[in-house]
Amino acid sequence: MKKILLVCIAMTYLSAGQYDKVKITPDMSYIYVYHKGKAVKVHRTQDPQHKLTGEYAKQYRPGQYLQPISIYENIQTIGEVELLHFMKDKVNDKKGLIVDVRPKKYYNQESIPSAVNMPATIKNDDVKMEKILKIMGAKRADDGTLNTEHAMDVVFYCHGLWCKKAPEFINAFLELGYPAEKVLYYRGGFQMWKILGFTTVINK
Amino acid sequence: MKKLYLILFLISTLLVNGAVVEIVKGMPYIIVEAHGKEIKIQRTQDKNAYLTNTFALTSRPSPPFFIEPFSVSKGVETYGELEVLDFIAKEKGIFIDARLENWYAKSAIPTAVNIPFKIFLSDTKKRKEVLKSFGAEYKEGLWNFLDAETILLYCNGAWCGQSPTAIKALIDLGYPENKMKYYRGGMQAWQLLGLTTIVPKDIK
Repeated sequence: MKKILLVCIAMTYLSAGQYDKVKITPDMSYIYVYHKGKAVKVHRTQDPQHKLTGEYAKQYRPGQYLQPISIYENIQTIGEVELLHFMKDKVNDKKGLIVDVRPKKYYNQESIPSAVNMPATIKNDDVKMEKILKIMGAKRADDGTLNTEHAMDVVFYCHGLWCKKAPEFINAFLELGYPAEKVLYYRGGFQMWKILGFTTVINK
Repeated sequence: MKKLYLILFLISTLLVNGAVVEIVKGMPYIIVEAHGKEIKIQRTQDKNAYLTNTFALTSRPSPPFFIEPFSVSKGVETYGELEVLDFIAKEKGIFIDARLENWYAKSAIPTAVNIPFKIFLSDTKKRKEVLKSFGAEYKEGLWNFLDAETILLYCNGAWCGQSPTAIKALIDLGYPENKMKYYRGGMQAWQLLGLTTIVPKDIK
């Protein structure tokens, strides 16, 4: 019995150190977040030689303009640390939602854990937008006003610093009456997530 | 014949302009002066440009490398690339590369002056000189930052603690937070976007 306990302790100790070589913050090596009903461990790639390659290492982005640090007044821009806290404190409690507004094909290939896909083109579809508002917990009253008292906090992201899809989608939400203080913008997007070696999930 | 030349000229300008990757719409580049030379800051125009140097590395070992929060302190504004370019173009203050000298020598953002973060951490003659060069006054053991300039600091990127450390040290000294700006994306985001860098050691 003692032996088993000892092995258990040793295993916990070992697994605790598993993601300590490349940590997120001094007191965070990994977190768990629910993605489609399953707990996913989110950490950083532990191989110090690992380099970002492929589509998201591409520097040439014609016609894609750099986005400002702050897109609208009162919309908070966040980084990776804030996004991880959002996963822990909001997404896991169903009080928050992370929305990937890239085309479905990109989302299917790879996304940030716990993110749901709402391709930016949806913003022109009134019926779908109303459904989304409902999912987010906003209630449309008979007189047309939007009650967002119990609505979720929502983080939007797209490809990265040069991608306007998330800013445009956010704008559409604000126009529908979603309150700015419940909307956040992860400007770094999928590209920065990748270049910092964070865990991704495959959705197809 | 003249007509033909004119048409050829028009076509060639169209082709050239059509291929330009702009920073934002209508702004293909800014011209700055660095190390006594005129430098054009623009995005890469090379169709096959990928980030392949050491800034493509995803996982710097910790310590000392951790992901920095989006904001250093409430009163210190975080900048993106557009805000950095505006700061440089309009000469809004002092643009500081807070990395150690060997990093700076290899590649840097044009117009930045190298003031390694360590200088800000201890009370030395060098630190006094630097603060005075910012416009701060030192009288009877006290700093007066009333006429101090706005400073913008950056280092290697979201995983680099050097510029945040410098900013925190300056806050402790009483440097007004609204006179400090933080470019969190740093060298990594700058290069991932294909923006122009210089090699200071080759210029000198």
